[in-house]
Amino acid sequence: MTSDARPAPAARAGRRRLGPQWLGVVPFFAFAALFLLIPISYLVVGSFQDQQGNVTVQNYLNLSRPITASAYMASIEISFVTALLGGLLGFLLAYVVIAGGIPGPFRSGVMTFSGVASNFAGVPLALAFIFTIGRTGFVTVILREVLGLDLYGSGFTIYSKIGLEIVYLYFQLPLMVLIIAPAIDGLRRDWREAAEGMGATSYHYWRYIALPILLPSLLGSMILLFGNAFGAQATAFALTGGFINLVTILIGGQLSGDVLGDRNLAYALAMGMVAIMGVTILAYTWLTRRAERWQRS
Amino acid sequence: MSGAGRAAVTPTVVARRRARSPRQVALKWAFLLACIAYFVLPLLGTLLFSLRSQPFLSAFTDTLNDPQFYSSLEYSFVIGIVTIVVSIVLLVPTAFWVRLRLPRLRPIVEFVTLLPFVVPPIVLVFGLITTFSRPPLPLTGSNLGSDVLLVCAYVVLSFPYMYRAVDTGLRSMDIRSLTEASQSLGAGWLTILWRVILPNLRVALLSGSFLTLAIVVGEFTIANFLARPMFAPYLQLISGNLAYEPAAVAVISFAITWAAMGAISLLGRGSRSKIQVGGAR
Amino acid sequence: MRTARSVSRVAPLAAAAAILFAACSGAATSAPASESAPAGSAAAGGTDLTALVAAAKQEGGLTTIALPRSWCNYGALLDGFTAKYGIPINNLNPDGSSQQELDAITANKSNKGPAAPDVIDVGLSYGPKAVSQGLVAPYKVSTWSDIPDTAKDPDGNWYGDYYGVMAFEVNTSVVKTVPQDWSDLLTQPKNTVSLAGDPTGSNQAVSAVWAAALASGGTLDNAQPGLDFFKKMNDAGIFVPVIGKTATVASGETPIRIAWTYNALADKDSLKGNPPITVVVPKTGRLGGMYVQAISAFAPHPNAAKLWMEYLYSDEGQIAWANGYCNPIRYDAMVKANKIPADVAAKLPDSSGAALPTLAQIEAANKTITTGWPTSVGVTVK
Repeated sequence: MTSDARPAPAARAGRRRLGPQWLGVVPFFAFAALFLLIPISYLVVGSFQDQQGNVTVQNYLNLSRPITASAYMASIEISFVTALLGGLLGFLLAYVVIAGGIPGPFRSGVMTFSGVASNFAGVPLALAFIFTIGRTGFVTVILREVLGLDLYGSGFTIYSKIGLEIVYLYFQLPLMVLIIAPAIDGLRRDWREAAEGMGATSYHYWRYIALPILLPSLLGSMILLFGNAFGAQATAFALTGGFINLVTILIGGQLSGDVLGDRNLAYALAMGMVAIMGVTILAYTWLTRRAERWQRS
Repeated sequence: MSGAGRAAVTPTVVARRRARSPRQVALKWAFLLACIAYFVLPLLGTLLFSLRSQPFLSAFTDTLNDPQFYSSLEYSFVIGIVTIVVSIVLLVPTAFWVRLRLPRLRPIVEFVTLLPFVVPPIVLVFGLITTFSRPPLPLTGSNLGSDVLLVCAYVVLSFPYMYRAVDTGLRSMDIRSLTEASQSLGAGWLTILWRVILPNLRVALLSGSFLTLAIVVGEFTIANFLARPMFAPYLQLISGNLAYEPAAVAVISFAITWAAMGAISLLGRGSRSKIQVGGAR
Repeated sequence: MRTARSVSRVAPLAAAAAILFAACSGAATSAPASESAPAGSAAAGGTDLTALVAAAKQEGGLTTIALPRSWCNYGALLDGFTAKYGIPINNLNPDGSSQQELDAITANKSNKGPAAPDVIDVGLSYGPKAVSQGLVAPYKVSTWSDIPDTAKDPDGNWYGDYYGVMAFEVNTSVVKTVPQDWSDLLTQPKNTVSLAGDPTGSNQAVSAVWAAALASGGTLDNAQPGLDFFKKMNDAGIFVPVIGKTATVASGETPIRIAWTYNALADKDSLKGNPPITVVVPKTGRLGGMYVQAISAFAPHPNAAKLWMEYLYSDEGQIAWANGYCNPIRYDAMVKANKIPADVAAKLPDSSGAALPTLAQIEAANKTITTGWPTSVGVTVK
């Protein structure tokens, strides 16, 4: 429709005058404004009000309380660990399945399974792990009765940060598989063949070709995983509700409890999460730029 | 099946039949088996627990005999498909355009697409209801309006996944050359998107679609407060004070969602070959 | 009222309710307001049931919120109402919390669609909160005078509906010595006891901590011993830091769960002996928790909402609640009028001696427990 307005040669020159180019993203931003930013505006306004509706910044001052600060730290830590682990393992799994000479039906089975597993969360997921490696879980029992291996005797418990991270990987890893699949799929076979033809080793291929190409996608996917874990509430709540201190659980307690809560504090807590997401994106943008420079060099 | 066709459009690294060292092969399978065990055992645990119901299998038969089980599942799948289509129509051109012409906007678009993670769903749904229960857009007053609002909310929830998948897909091809080549052949923007970009995004779109469908089938809060007869609220409703039935339903719905994704994957394969035929002409 | 006072089994409510709002400003002394119709509809007078039924049928629907079917026998009440009056019910968010119920009214102020709740059933402290936010409309059911003055808002904005006490839900296929009192929990083997919620946000879990306080030297004004009690249990490894569900009790992961009597007994019924469950009301620390009903000020179906209230507070509705192991608010009056069948009376758990706190006490204890739990109990998962 608008193609005549922007023939190809004009494209580069047009970069400076952003005018009509903006039209291309109007539908997205309009949609986001209507169905995402308007609801968020209630969050913003509410975070600056006290429970009587007066303007205040007290909610934000309250964020520095030890309990709130430690909740942010715990949330960030768990999200970071599971994004990193889920990202690495998910990438390996995706690579093995897509490029590792695995039979085709198996590949599509893994991809579709990843779709379901990436959204298996909340109470069913928590219970699934309790039934499996809880104190009375069937794997725990088998290990103890058959192999003489006492999981819980060694100090492990599923109701812990480690336990929660193991459970989180159940949706983090498949999410990585799905998100990174297009990037792995796009690695050209001829690149590797060319590299090998020139006598490059596997290490050289990865260090100078595959990794530089994949790095921006890897980083982007891990950011997604970070956000995915950062915002997760139901699973942690079902597994260690009220006993592990995550931001989302604090928010849930204020918003959805049936003990009188402070909704405005919850809004400020959520705004804190928005800010952390913003910082994460900035860091990621900076890293991607560096990675892309590396890619070009 | 379509291996030859795939090589023609996007050369990939599939199935290299190069000799690998036995150690590599062993490592690969050990890793795969470990992954399979990690993913299958919790499902097995749930299944074993659900089998404790008395009389034997009653947790399954009770569920499968409930007509509401099917109707809510069907409702969720229909909403899911519509959400997938809207999400693709909205995000593919956006991601394409940002990559091609507005790269400086990328961090902002990425930030917006990640916001759904950090906005508590309860805030999102009450914000939506407050906004859309009065003029100029009184959507919540009717069932159709509520469905529209539900789809829009789910499109928002699909942002992080769909955008990231599409962006990764776009990154793996040279969209600038593809676009310029198409333009030099006289193709308009719609043609470029439909004939050139979309077919090359197949893997990315499948990933995004799986993720979106899974969200829609599993999402509870929004469906619930908009009072739509979706699957997750139904699950919640029957779980009440029961022990074995929710476990059985978790297993059944996992299997059904998996099957539905298999169907989408076949569908994606079909439409792709059609597009290819068009491209060859 | 400093200490928990005993009330008899036969007449729990009159006495209990007397404690309830004794400290509440003016509420206990003001005489019930006149039966005059509240604003909104001509059909409102409690006695003109026929006109109300007709008006409700005209509206053609009722939207409830946060009523789990297994909670206090609500499943039977929802079906019974629809069967009796032919008015379909749309039950939103069955597992929702009190806060979500108020939020749903607020968000749907200008919505007449299916997402706007007509009636709410909230924790006691949410009644006055809803009034202060202008979210509820007054209505007085025809059996209004049977509700103890101290368990209702004099203007009819909210009214107590039922209550229960804290109980131990015990999976006896795992637990060898069934605890009879709170102190017995401390001698259970490791990894046995769980709460039915999160003590920083769930009324049920907060009440459990408070009840433990009453049993271990605390009072309605001092909930701290409850935190100490749970700390002791946690330090000994008896406490399992997971939200106890029917499934975790059944699987043996948390063979004892502390929950409201009616929830524990409903679990026992639904598990049908697989595994066997025993519900114990502990000898001490009987803390009563009451819920209240109210009609939304923005109800799309105001007459159906009133009819629903009439139904809940009718003999039929009250007996249905009792069948779900909840002590209904008109229990005393109905016992006096000989309207409670013997089998129903026998079904109700023994909650004699239940202490019912005042609103001010509830607020203070909530604060102590929700803020003290993460630090003083120290169940911080590493």
